[in-house]
Amino acid sequence: MAIIELKNINKYYDAAGDEKLHVLKDINLEVQKGEYLAILGPSGSGKSTLMNIIGCMDHMSDGYYCLDGELIHEAKEKDLVRIRNEKIGFIFQKYHLIPTYNVLQNIVMPLLMRGMTLNEARERSVDTIDMLGLGQRITHKPNELSGGQQQRVAIARALVGEPAILLADEPTGALDRNSGLEVLKLFKRLNDMGNTIVMITHDADVATHAQRTVKIVDGEIFEL
Amino acid sequence: MKTSELLRLVFINITQNKFKTIMTSIGIIVGAATIVMVIAIGKGGQADVAEQFKNLNAGAIDISYEGEGTDSSSGSSSSESGGMPSGGGMPSGGSSSNGSSSSSSGGGGGMPSGGGPSGGGDSGGMQMFDFGSMFGSSSSMEDRINQEKVTLTEDDVDDITTFVGGISDATITFTTKSDIEGGELDEAASYTIAGVKSNYITISNLEMTVGDFITDSDDENKEKVCILGASVAKEIFGSAIDAYGSVIYIDSRLYVVNGVLEEMGSVASGISPDEAIFIPYDTGIKYLVGDDVNPTVTVIAEDVDNVDAVIEDVTNLLTESYPNTEFTYSDAGSKMEAASASNDILTMLLMAMAAIVFIVGGIGIMNVLFVSVKERTNEIGILKAIGGSQRSIMFEFLLEAAAISLIGGTLGLLVSLVVAPVAETLGASVLLTPSAFVIAMIFAVGTGTIFGIYPAYKASALVPVEALSAE
Repeated sequence: MAIIELKNINKYYDAAGDEKLHVLKDINLEVQKGEYLAILGPSGSGKSTLMNIIGCMDHMSDGYYCLDGELIHEAKEKDLVRIRNEKIGFIFQKYHLIPTYNVLQNIVMPLLMRGMTLNEARERSVDTIDMLGLGQRITHKPNELSGGQQQRVAIARALVGEPAILLADEPTGALDRNSGLEVLKLFKRLNDMGNTIVMITHDADVATHAQRTVKIVDGEIFEL
Repeated sequence: MKTSELLRLVFINITQNKFKTIMTSIGIIVGAATIVMVIAIGKGGQADVAEQFKNLNAGAIDISYEGEGTDSSSGSSSSESGGMPSGGGMPSGGSSSNGSSSSSSGGGGGMPSGGGPSGGGDSGGMQMFDFGSMFGSSSSMEDRINQEKVTLTEDDVDDITTFVGGISDATITFTTKSDIEGGELDEAASYTIAGVKSNYITISNLEMTVGDFITDSDDENKEKVCILGASVAKEIFGSAIDAYGSVIYIDSRLYVVNGVLEEMGSVASGISPDEAIFIPYDTGIKYLVGDDVNPTVTVIAEDVDNVDAVIEDVTNLLTESYPNTEFTYSDAGSKMEAASASNDILTMLLMAMAAIVFIVGGIGIMNVLFVSVKERTNEIGILKAIGGSQRSIMFEFLLEAAAISLIGGTLGLLVSLVVAPVAETLGASVLLTPSAFVIAMIFAVGTGTIFGIYPAYKASALVPVEALSAE
């Protein structure tokens, strides 16, 4: 079953003068449930734009996008907020944790957004926190943790909402080699547990950890 | 997001950076303290006005005749002037009414001021009263055609109480100056003597320290008794207790001190009770002033709003007894109004100042919140990426602004509690009231929240992709 279905996605940016920058060109992509896909591309290839569109953070200029039954190309901003919260678990290169909140507060944030109380949200996240080995650190602030630990907090945050897909943007980009490998091992484990993962990277080595890799060059997508 | 959880986050954000929170709220702190102080000073001013007029009943109307235009002290010192001893009542004195055939209501302070000789030298201030009636006069004025003297009497008081509706009480008083001997005085000293009826004590809101006020029988029997004002008792006898039951000599006649009044403090108009010696009205007429009296009739209107109607009725009544004679009417209410009106203007000015302080404080909050939004752009992007709605983000920032102003308001109230005693020692009348705290708090939170709306909106309207990539 296809959990992501992209058909003829185009994205233009207004550039200087009358010209329009054609960033994504007729993208067609399907991701099956339980799949682990790497989108590989150099910087400037349009992969970040694609990731933002898959993540419902940016609008496509035209095309068809169905995410887990939701027609994203028709959705209003209000729906997109809910879809981001329920269907997508973001993992960013720079972790993007909120510095004033501690580990627990960062992890449960997506659940609080759904209207849960802190206690309900904490109960829901206990298993995830244990799985990622963060039980000892839930009262720490992000800046008291190493990069690898911070990325694990970010992964925990992505997981607690039980999203349809995990969307990782260069998840190892800011980490040293060992921490990066650990994250990739973790991804493999999460995928084995049935999570659908879409990972964007410029690093071919990293991409080899995925089941399937597609390449994006100059806004066009190629299966490898 | 649940409001309780939002509040928890707001709490974390605010306590995380206490210094910044305090700095942000300084404008609000100053504003709230200013509002409290402004209201306190306003209330203090009102209390001052009330204090000054405490011997005046709001419904009191003083009726006096100052048409003679002369005003000199009477009794033993009457030699000073060739004019009519008028009891020294009118502060405006004779000179101001010279040549005027009428004095309008409310002008020139109608209560006997006990102020002694004022403008007494102007003995030429006579008017013509073609149809004036009543008493003849022994005045030496050469240019008079009808040498009539208009003197209000107890009969007029009886007429007024009988025929004028809407009044609760009426009394008649005169004041004069006389030499006093006795007690610890080494030599004779001049004091204000007020001839009053027994109901004067209630009309003027006076209290006795010791003894009893003048009674009706004192008056009827023209007893030589007196009641001393608090300061007078202290000056002549050293204390109220020592004065009670002692004797003094007024114009060389012996009077028994039947009581001493409580201290009243300074008053805006009328007889200053601390400085006066009160004797029965008829006693005064008999032994001190004789026919040369210019008394004041005081009428108390039952309803303050009814004062004008009462004045009109009294005027009509008096016109029957004294055709073509104009009396001076002075009602306490309009004096109080004038005094509190000027106090209100002061309060308004201070309020305007407080409003400016708040606007400045609000702009301060807005600036800091804008900086805060800028600083936290990345955080806002994260919140949006993980499904934070525009509404909840705006709400969070707004709650933060409100919380900061709440803290600022509270600190401002504390500041005002410190400043108020200081202001008081510097001589301002300060009266802290709970309502001032409530108003200041409402203004503080209101200002902070209103000025927080725009930055909060800005934050919530950020595009998630751009917010996330912001450094």
